[in-house]
Amino acid sequence: MKTKIFSLVSIMLLFISCKKNQSIVVTTNEYHAAIDNVTQIMIHDIFSPPVASRIFVYPNIAAYEVMAQNSKTYISLQNQLNGLDSIPKLDSKSGVNQPLAALIAHMELSKQLVFSEEIVDKFRDSLYQKWTDENEEEFIVSKEYGLKVAERIKRWMGKDNYKETRTMSKFSVYANQPGRWQPTPPSYMDAVEPHWGEIRTMVLDSASQFKPKPALPFSLSKNSPFFKEVQEVYDISKEMIVKGDNSEEIKIAQFWDCNPYVSVSQGHMMFAKKKITPGAHWMGIVKIASKKSNADFAKTVFAYTKTSIGIFEGFISCWNEKFKSNVVRPETVINQNIDENWKPLLQTPPFPEYTSGHSVVSMCSASILTSVFGDNFSYTDDTEVQFGLPKRKYRSFDAAAKEAAMSRLYGGIHYKAAIVNGIDHGKTIGEFIEAKLKMIK
Amino acid sequence: MNNYFRIILALVLFSSCSKKEGKLFEMLPSEESNILFDNELLASKNISILDYLYYYNGGGVALGDINNDGLVDIYFTSNQGKNKLYLNKGNNKFEDISVKAGVESQSDWNAGTVMADVNGDGYLDIYVCAVVGINGFEGQNELFINNKDNTFTESAAQFGLDLDNYSSSAAFFDYDLDGDLDMYLLNHAVHSESSFGNATVRNNRSYESGDKLFRNDNGKFIDVSEQAGIFGGANGYGLGLAVSDFNLDGYPDIYVGNDFHEDDYYYLNNGDGTFTESLKQFFGHTSRFSMGVDVADVNHDGFPDILSLDMLPEDEKVLKSSLGDDNVQMLKMRTEKLGYHYQYTRNMLQLNQAGNHFTETALLSGIAATDWSWSTLFGDYDQDGEQDIFVSNGIPKRPNDLDYVKYYSNDQIKSKISTTKLLDKEALKRMPKGNVTNYVFQGAADLQFKNRSKDWIVNDSIISNGSGYADIDNDGDLDVITNNTNAIASVYINKTDAKASYLKLKLRFTGKNTFGIGAKVISYVGGKKQFKELQTTRGFQSSSEPIIHFGYGKTKQIDSLVVVWPDKTYQTLKKVKTSQTLTIKANKDRKVFDYKTLHPSVSPIFKKLQTGLGIDYTHQENDYVDFLVQKLIPYQRSDRGAATAIGDLNGDGKEDIFFGGSKGKKAVIYFQNTTGFVKKELVEIEKDSIFEDASAVIGDFNNDRRNDLYVSSGGGENAADLEDRLYLNKNNQFLKAALPKIAQNGSVVKAFDYDKDGDLDLFVGNNSINNRFGTLPDCYLLNNNKGVFTIVENKTFQNIGMVTDAVFTDFNKDGKADLIVIGEWMKPTFFANKNGKFTDITATVFPEKSNGLWQSIIPFDIDQDGDQDYLVGNWGMNSKFKASKDFPMKMYYDDFDTNGNYETIVAVEKEGKYHAILGLDELAEQFSGMLKKKFNSYKSFAGKTLEEVFDVKMLEKGKLFEVHNLKSGYLKNDNGKFTFIPFSNKMQVAPITSFVKSNFDSDAKEEVFAAGNYFGVSPFHSRFDGFSGALIKNEKTIYLGNQIGIDLTQKAVRHLDIITFNGKKYMLVTINNKKVEVYEMPSTKK
Repeated sequence: MKTKIFSLVSIMLLFISCKKNQSIVVTTNEYHAAIDNVTQIMIHDIFSPPVASRIFVYPNIAAYEVMAQNSKTYISLQNQLNGLDSIPKLDSKSGVNQPLAALIAHMELSKQLVFSEEIVDKFRDSLYQKWTDENEEEFIVSKEYGLKVAERIKRWMGKDNYKETRTMSKFSVYANQPGRWQPTPPSYMDAVEPHWGEIRTMVLDSASQFKPKPALPFSLSKNSPFFKEVQEVYDISKEMIVKGDNSEEIKIAQFWDCNPYVSVSQGHMMFAKKKITPGAHWMGIVKIASKKSNADFAKTVFAYTKTSIGIFEGFISCWNEKFKSNVVRPETVINQNIDENWKPLLQTPPFPEYTSGHSVVSMCSASILTSVFGDNFSYTDDTEVQFGLPKRKYRSFDAAAKEAAMSRLYGGIHYKAAIVNGIDHGKTIGEFIEAKLKMIK
Repeated sequence: MNNYFRIILALVLFSSCSKKEGKLFEMLPSEESNILFDNELLASKNISILDYLYYYNGGGVALGDINNDGLVDIYFTSNQGKNKLYLNKGNNKFEDISVKAGVESQSDWNAGTVMADVNGDGYLDIYVCAVVGINGFEGQNELFINNKDNTFTESAAQFGLDLDNYSSSAAFFDYDLDGDLDMYLLNHAVHSESSFGNATVRNNRSYESGDKLFRNDNGKFIDVSEQAGIFGGANGYGLGLAVSDFNLDGYPDIYVGNDFHEDDYYYLNNGDGTFTESLKQFFGHTSRFSMGVDVADVNHDGFPDILSLDMLPEDEKVLKSSLGDDNVQMLKMRTEKLGYHYQYTRNMLQLNQAGNHFTETALLSGIAATDWSWSTLFGDYDQDGEQDIFVSNGIPKRPNDLDYVKYYSNDQIKSKISTTKLLDKEALKRMPKGNVTNYVFQGAADLQFKNRSKDWIVNDSIISNGSGYADIDNDGDLDVITNNTNAIASVYINKTDAKASYLKLKLRFTGKNTFGIGAKVISYVGGKKQFKELQTTRGFQSSSEPIIHFGYGKTKQIDSLVVVWPDKTYQTLKKVKTSQTLTIKANKDRKVFDYKTLHPSVSPIFKKLQTGLGIDYTHQENDYVDFLVQKLIPYQRSDRGAATAIGDLNGDGKEDIFFGGSKGKKAVIYFQNTTGFVKKELVEIEKDSIFEDASAVIGDFNNDRRNDLYVSSGGGENAADLEDRLYLNKNNQFLKAALPKIAQNGSVVKAFDYDKDGDLDLFVGNNSINNRFGTLPDCYLLNNNKGVFTIVENKTFQNIGMVTDAVFTDFNKDGKADLIVIGEWMKPTFFANKNGKFTDITATVFPEKSNGLWQSIIPFDIDQDGDQDYLVGNWGMNSKFKASKDFPMKMYYDDFDTNGNYETIVAVEKEGKYHAILGLDELAEQFSGMLKKKFNSYKSFAGKTLEEVFDVKMLEKGKLFEVHNLKSGYLKNDNGKFTFIPFSNKMQVAPITSFVKSNFDSDAKEEVFAAGNYFGVSPFHSRFDGFSGALIKNEKTIYLGNQIGIDLTQKAVRHLDIITFNGKKYMLVTINNKKVEVYEMPSTKK
């Protein structure tokens, strides 16, 4: 018996040492897992939707740039994204495993961007150990290159005005201006990221290159277009109560809630219900589409990268508008003028109303995903299963985006104009990115 | 037994002994007393903090002698178990007679309890409050009427007191003075409404949650709440209740402490069966999560003061990991838009200013933070003649723990909280415990309380809720009994015994109010007054023994005792021996008492003119919050207006007044004519309204016999709008004239011919650089040459500090005007004028470490020794700022995170270590990358010292500012050398921002009037609103506003000026964001 075990071990050792010369295989699943890992950390650390979009985009770009070097299919984003003027060259004879280096670059930048670094470390260290065991030599050269690219992207990232916007002024609440946004129940948080419109864009020349239609002028007169939209939000919520908990509207609203921090208070007892952000939800859809279409590693990275660029640009552009028009939320207007006890189905997120961020980034994502995976790409979305919500089926990315946009009306947190104009705005940005970025040869 | 064992045993014995003994209070062991009552929260009942927000409020205690055998018996309420009545058998032995007495209660959830002789038969009855109608709780409030044989009969329905709502506490007292006991029922709201709603919600009555007032009509209690003006809204989170005749008019008033965002209520009894709720008028601010309340005269002025408890933790670790106050904008919205009053999270000691208003001093008094506190009991526990304070506290789970709120709960609770109890329990496990030891404070002189928790009582981790005091062992001192959650009740036996003398009074009154509830006793010993009122509902959900207790230290005899009975009659006892128990029966031939004799004889030096001589200027602050831009600065800069200047501006020989407005608001001039003042706007000045006027001076700067105007700009909002302006008067047209460019945040400008060349020169003091709070601006001496000002080159005026005020004064008596400049984070700085050149000689004349947050200065010979002293206004001591020579308050300043924006980090010392004042969220808003990565939980941040939070090298790179002293006082002149002497604590309740000198009263001497208050701090600091103003006659004699007919509380005074109209002097008070006030001084000697 003892000899048997001994010989088995010897064989295994031989086998392992044989493998040393074989190249490390990095799967798309490992890339998906890296993104999922970041998504989970963000739920813990609590990042607002715009900040979350930034945490997705830079690591993806780093990975994409590794993959694009010497590629027959993909074109580097160097000189295509604002301020990204150089990428460390890859010597094709260096023995760098590009998917490996791409994943390493992704993890490295993700670590920089989240707070709970130790979770990235844990995830990374187990992979590093595995790769060292598999082919130490290849791992070392690939790591070296991956970190080099990450370092370059980090330097570029450092100039996107994020650091500066951290210390800019907070949003001023003027209680005597009824049309101006003000903090909403229950936690009455300060407005989130009032200067996000000042973050450097990547593809757009500026946050204001594309502007949505102007917001409806605030008015409390019953027949004004604005107040009619307020009334509509209220009426729809009442209709939904009549229809009951199983109505399609309620399901849609809950499915697309995507609020990273919903504060729940029961008397002295308070806690947070935390979910993923809109950006994370669309990253989930990228994963579903990549898997369904059996995309290879490079295409998977490409799909993530292009979509996350769209989401990043969408948030900057949308936030730029939000903090120019500063439109008050339905909850505030309805509580003060229609029904003081009314509460929206979804908790009102802490920033001005116009336009709907979810509408903009969903439509922007959908148009980019359509360009990558084709129109009428049907799929089943199981992204929200972890939050106890069911799967939903969609016949196309566009259909999903339009439903996501409408969820804001059903949720009682947006007027229709923010949705309709948000969709248009998102589509414009998506199409512009599509036209401007040359990523495929 | 070997030696080793013996030592261990000895140690164990020793430690268990020492565990049971505090220096003042000794725990009575339950084995000895037989008191085994334990308010156990029963897991089997399947209710938790998730279901009922007051699940952890605990039970109450009622103390009184139910069988009139001279021994105090104890009644405990149990939330979910059986209530218990313990009969005192003497020698600290008790017998549980609950079952045979029939007082165990039938309700599912019991809260507060009171002993009172409800039917007026001379025997104490027991009333028990129940929470009924939520979580399936059944039952009702119960009234156990004493059968005089150690049994009771539940009779609530018969009396009309069988309420089935959410009761927390009750008080029996005679509000209409008809001789029987009426009742106030304190109820609490339960809905966890997440949105604040408008304060007017309290106008709509809710049966379940609304408080109620009952009038006793021959044994039937009639709900008169509505007609009596008692709020009964669904937002009344009533937890604290105290009855007292706060304004000493003979009619008992009511203070209600409400939890959460609902204001506390202050009901003044109108004497006609109705009350007027008057909180906003009488209180500047209150505790926010108000819990227990108690009342006693702590400062011997004969007026009852109020302590309301909250939940501010003292321990840095708990403090920095618990939810704090609102942010500044939310507080604004809650107060200005929704109609609530100012509330902050900490205990509040409200000093009654002769019934005129209350001044809150908990921070100054050292009792602001006692963690999650329930019950407070004033009592002279050490019998030294000063009121001490006992605080019960603790909570099994802290639901406001930030890590729990933000991080943990989500993992456990997910979305199923309301459906699965299992998950709830798991969630509860993660909530940190809040078991902390009770607090006890020793009353000291000058509004101070000394924390004696570490040595007067045993330190344990028991959670104590309701509590009461009584003389359990009949040795004359006050013992304390607490009802504990999940632990046996504590009996604190007071061991003062014969170490100090006392007087214990039992009152026997006529009619149905047999115990004389509402009677007052005033004791006089050698001119020292002690005031007590007999009310038994005190602390929290509890009632104390119906006695009056005084401590007297070494005194053997009391000069006189005045007993004022509830029916406004009185009797006097002279030369009463101390250390005895006296039963005082109401005499048959009682004289009518004149309550006016209890009020101070006010000699009103000031009388407010309603017409204001036509000066109706209202300063309006513009909508700007400094903290939105400079998030970490310790206080605002933009709210120090209006600028005021007095002088004849139209050459008619009469004084006119210039008021400079805030940014965007026009400056205004009031011209004096024979009938008063008339407002006029001057176009050239008016159009400069883009500037915020910080300071102004009127003077003839070009020697054309017409007064001109210099206005210094400030406000710190926009760097482009900070230029100072000079307006020269040409035929009463004011035209802007050339001036060297001075464009910083100005604070003061003073005119004086320092070089004696016949024209007025200027000192221009600046406070800060825009958005660079910590970069020091220059100050300037402007030399006047025929109306043309030039900056005098003098390095001594560069970087003086954050200047706030200055005075030209000959402090060295060489006949030349010297200059003293004061400011924040700097010391009063002395510049000697030597042949027209100023030299800083502070190191010689005023060497002591004395950086302060100085606000104002005025020359005044306060010690009346013939030389010039200087009164200096500082920040005061009623603040979370803390500074001393050994442990200065520190402020580090730099662009620490190198993003082009500068930061300030303010830190104060606590137990020898420095901590940043602000919490992780606030600091991370500015240092996000740096701190959020380093501290990914609040627990990991809380309690960390400044050096542990920030890299020491990084801090050292910055500029360090220090403050050594926050007290206002005076610079005493001894032959040209100065020392700082602080004022007493009544002058330290708020920043003193302005002084003015005049002869205000009828003597021949000048006095100084001082005023202050300031609101430009974050809600964590609250607001400094309690200074009424004070007249300073000399070192010994200082009168507060209520003694001289002026009340400037709740007003942020910026300037005081004397104006002369028709040959008579008036005082003009300029207030930030409010209308000016004009006072005449009727008794002024001309």
